[in-house]
Amino acid sequence: MTTKQFLSLEWKQFRRSSFFEKGLAIKILMFLGALYFASLAILAGAGIFFLFKKAVPNQDPFILINNYLIYWVLGDLALRYFMQQLPVMNIKPMLLLPVKRQSVIQFLLLKTSFSFFNILPLLFFIPLVIVLMVQGYNPVMVLLWFAGILSISFSINFLNFILNKNTAVFVVVIALLASFIGLKYFGVFDISPYTGVFFLSFYNLGFTVLVPLALVLFLFKANYRLLRSNFYVDGAVQAKKEKFKNYNLEFLNRFGTLATFLKNDVKMITRNARPKQVLLISFFFLFYGLFFFTQDIYKEMPVVIAFAGVFVTGGFLMTFGQLVPSWDSEYYKLMMSQNVSYRQYLESKWLLMAIGCAVSFILSTPYIYFGWEIYVMIAAGASFNIGLNSFITLYGGALNRVPIELNQKAKAFSNTQGFNPTQLLISLPKILGPMIIFYIPYKLINFNAGIIALALSGLLGLVFKSYFLKLIENLYQKNKYKTISAFSEKK
Amino acid sequence: METIIQVQNLSKSYKADKVLDIEALDIPKGQSFGLVGNNGAGKTTFFSLLLDLIKPTTGQIENKGVEVSQSEDWKPFTSSFIDESFLIGYLTAEEYFYFIGDLRNTSKSEVDELLAEFEDFFHGEILNQKKYLRDLSKGNQKKAGIVAALIGNPEVVILDEPFANLDPTTQIRLKKIIKELSSQKHVTVLVSSHDLMHVTEVCERVVVLDKGRIVKDIYTSEATLKELELYFER
Repeated sequence: MTTKQFLSLEWKQFRRSSFFEKGLAIKILMFLGALYFASLAILAGAGIFFLFKKAVPNQDPFILINNYLIYWVLGDLALRYFMQQLPVMNIKPMLLLPVKRQSVIQFLLLKTSFSFFNILPLLFFIPLVIVLMVQGYNPVMVLLWFAGILSISFSINFLNFILNKNTAVFVVVIALLASFIGLKYFGVFDISPYTGVFFLSFYNLGFTVLVPLALVLFLFKANYRLLRSNFYVDGAVQAKKEKFKNYNLEFLNRFGTLATFLKNDVKMITRNARPKQVLLISFFFLFYGLFFFTQDIYKEMPVVIAFAGVFVTGGFLMTFGQLVPSWDSEYYKLMMSQNVSYRQYLESKWLLMAIGCAVSFILSTPYIYFGWEIYVMIAAGASFNIGLNSFITLYGGALNRVPIELNQKAKAFSNTQGFNPTQLLISLPKILGPMIIFYIPYKLINFNAGIIALALSGLLGLVFKSYFLKLIENLYQKNKYKTISAFSEKK
Repeated sequence: METIIQVQNLSKSYKADKVLDIEALDIPKGQSFGLVGNNGAGKTTFFSLLLDLIKPTTGQIENKGVEVSQSEDWKPFTSSFIDESFLIGYLTAEEYFYFIGDLRNTSKSEVDELLAEFEDFFHGEILNQKKYLRDLSKGNQKKAGIVAALIGNPEVVILDEPFANLDPTTQIRLKKIIKELSSQKHVTVLVSSHDLMHVTEVCERVVVLDKGRIVKDIYTSEATLKELELYFER
């Protein structure tokens, strides 16, 4: 079988996926979304040189860029660990066909080169390279430097697949990243000039490019060997069987009839890859406030603080909630033919989201360090999240209808849920809502009034809980057949 | 006898393609009802309509007087196993049974009692396995699904292709279970199958579907198997 045939199979898989059977409006929006990310990368690539030049006028911006590359390498590795899917192809049918294993594996590995995570750096570095050339850097050496950076990007790509089986290495990467940033922040030690010398040597010396090139080749080979030795139906091709874990969830029984669903959801989250990923992402949301609370400029802009406050506690609530009922898509027919009331189902999901929000709030206690004002804001944000945001998110989720493969990590940006026009519309009140609720009383009266308004909005939402749940329930009922058929679509 | 399932002018079309067209069909309470037909005859479509998983193009189905697409009141006394999408892959078999039990207001001990009756049927491969349902073999998944469909004393049980993927011993046991359900507990059992022998052995009545239409409606007797074989030989 030739590469051409493989490519045509891939193309068919891509063309015929449910994603293209969406309406024109969604296609346009998705296109715009992709364009947005692409242009963001291009703009950043073109602008970073001048940004550094302006920020530190007496130093060569190119050197500074090289200094910061280490953070890109570690950050990219961490991001990919969470987001990038392992290369999978329908290997099973290939096993019985007269195709050389070698060519299947090579294709599989090369295919990963076209992942979103490899294209994004290209979009960033190509404009940068052009800027560098225009600014009078030696074009040949700039190209060599570019080759070095590209090799590193691909090394990260292949390294990720090896790391993915090994959590320990990943923890080391995160620890390194955190300690580098921490040491630099507190002015103890800055690693970046040292690694910067290495990256810069691609430009200054040229021949050091051989190091990353050799690394790519080595990692490609290592991946190849790994796959080759596992190329059996019970090897790499087969999904990993997880060991059975059991916990005592009897304490959830206090929630009465909702306990049935709650217990199930806890098992769902702890035993499947995709929800675990969501759990981790929502953990990172906790740190969202650090971006804002550490900057003095935002002290003058309490609206931004309100926005950040909502996000600190809303991570789980939003990332989990926007995929209700998709979490149950694998067995949705069962849920629809069993003796399940939508009301109980929804209420249990809501309760889980509220618990998630409460836990996030408890974990956000260290923010007191930045002052009570900020902590009170986070508390008000949590109230908004539980009382209003939860229902908005659930409403959006009901319109979602993207089937989820629970035990598969999400493919970054390949699912459409973020680019669904209704999703976009739904996200507006989530983002603007708390800001407006805070801003008006803040402007008219004072800061405390804004906080009280935000906190009260959540309480008000709780008062109307029944009404909101009824609204969402009606939506479920109305879309029942559509949802069932969307969920039973095989990927 | 009292009719429990009543079908009127039921049809389902996908664009111009009519996949099911049943003018009238009455199934009395306690009957074991078999549905046979080649691939694409409309068996699963009929069951999906009966469970309100798809919307009928015309007509309606009443389950014990409840129009299934209008009200959900049929759910408490109806249960089904159509395919693996009725299983929750990340649960163990016991957890799954208890979950269904919870949904059907059946206590843990009642579920345990029921499971004890099926010890033979499980053949020691379902309970206490420390394995998630998604990691069981197809046949064992089916066993779990079928037994789960019997939890909570349902009055109507719908099983799509229950014999497929089962080993011979289990097939024989399943036949016994289905027969007992209808004869002793007066449960209405609807079964579809490609296996003419199993169906004629288990069901009091066999309906043959072809391209969405009922072409034969037979109360089983000695001659039924022969008749069906002749029909499908065409």
